[in-house]
Amino acid sequence: MCVRFKLPNVTEMNDWIAIGALALVGVLIPLSMMAVSALLRPSVPETSKRATYESGEVPTGGTRVRFNIQYYMVALLFLIFDIETVLLFPWAVVYLDAIESDAVSLLDILGPMVLFVAILLAGLAWAWRNGAVQWAQTPRQVDTERNRP
Amino acid sequence: MNAATTTPIQSDVLLPERLGDLTGLNEFGLAGELLSTLIGAVIVGSLILTMTAVAGPWAKRKITASFTDRISINQIGPAGIGIIIADAVRMLSKENIIPENADRPAYDLAPIVIVGSALLGFAVIPMGSGIQLADPEVGLAFAFAVAGIASIGLVMAGYASGNKYSLLGGLRAVAQNVAYEIPLVVTGMSVVLFAGSLQMGAIVDAQNTQTLVDLGVVSIPAWYALVNPFAFVLFLIANFAEVGRNPFDMPEAPAELVAGYQTEYSSVYFVLVYLGEFLHIFLGGAIISTIFLGGPAGPGPAALGIVWFTLKIWGVFFLTQWLRSAVPRVRIDQLIEIGWKGLLVLSFANLGLTAAIVGVIA
Repeated sequence: MCVRFKLPNVTEMNDWIAIGALALVGVLIPLSMMAVSALLRPSVPETSKRATYESGEVPTGGTRVRFNIQYYMVALLFLIFDIETVLLFPWAVVYLDAIESDAVSLLDILGPMVLFVAILLAGLAWAWRNGAVQWAQTPRQVDTERNRP
Repeated sequence: MNAATTTPIQSDVLLPERLGDLTGLNEFGLAGELLSTLIGAVIVGSLILTMTAVAGPWAKRKITASFTDRISINQIGPAGIGIIIADAVRMLSKENIIPENADRPAYDLAPIVIVGSALLGFAVIPMGSGIQLADPEVGLAFAFAVAGIASIGLVMAGYASGNKYSLLGGLRAVAQNVAYEIPLVVTGMSVVLFAGSLQMGAIVDAQNTQTLVDLGVVSIPAWYALVNPFAFVLFLIANFAEVGRNPFDMPEAPAELVAGYQTEYSSVYFVLVYLGEFLHIFLGGAIISTIFLGGPAGPGPAALGIVWFTLKIWGVFFLTQWLRSAVPRVRIDQLIEIGWKGLLVLSFANLGLTAAIVGVIA
């Protein structure tokens, strides 16, 4: 049954050293590109150059604008489902082995997870009904939609 | 599915160890091991960067030109391939204009986060011919987790630029990433149900040691794209949204948001943000190839693994460029609804069905 997994060996730890090495390379590559660019590029400071880009117009208003509440709702939903996927992963890994071992019945393996997912999907259905996954519209947009022939 | 018919193409020796043997560095104890690991990391990094360099300035233009019946670059070198060097010099020697409202450390760090996170995901990808840096037991979860870090880079870029279009573009990018991350991971999990492991090497082995159909002369291996095409299509769609390609390229919709989160980036910073996007396309392609298309498997000797793997990644890249030319963009409200009402529900249906089928068969 254990054929599916490679046996743990001494190189187990080396995996994370190698990943750390690639992380180092992944930071060094952008840094070296920045260094090369710093040597090559000109620098002609001028105030109007640094103005916030708004298609060539004089920038108006502040930067921290109000934005749609939707982003917040979606982020909340994401948190819930992301934690759920974390809880699902261990189950998915042992699933096949648990079935093949014949020690527990299929219902015992599948049942609890179906119930768990069903509870969360009921939550999604509730959020759906309350418009959390529907793009929020301003009152004017709603009016336009309503008056459309 | 029949029992093992072919030998596993996945070698047990990873790249750092093999390099250590080749160069004799293994005899120098820990220092030698660290050095060979670092050399391995540089090799993997350069390989991916080369691929991106060919894709970004050259292949993308050539493919789009073919679709729209134009000529495109053809002046420098054969078929214009020299444009890669010309473009690199041109972009790196541009003046770097930092906008006056920029939030400095975050503004400078964002490109590094975007590039680094994408590059790090390749650590666990088996690229064939023995090129795999690491094969931890949590491989697939690691790849998803690292690819997800890019969202932080996008928020940093959008917020720190001090531009309202950047801010809105960054928020859209994250709302999109977040909406399609769950279908992506849940669909990936249906593969784990078949393979019984998160280890990339084990997933590749499971696909290639089993046979789906034996036709006598040729036997079709049980690649999960063939075993479960529904999951494959779901994963492809979620992946295109995840890397922000058509029809889901809302975050940088030029007609509405100038260029989204990359509006205020110029010179080398722009190169890095652009590079990061391409790295993410290739990382998505690498994950798809590994868990659905049998990784580096293909006809011929196992040494050809890297060729097959490159072909598969480029196949996914070509598909993104095809869609770019052929499919219109969806609106932001449609995008959120497709993700949460469509793909999420379908991916859970796929997971449940797969679990039931695996349970009944086994």
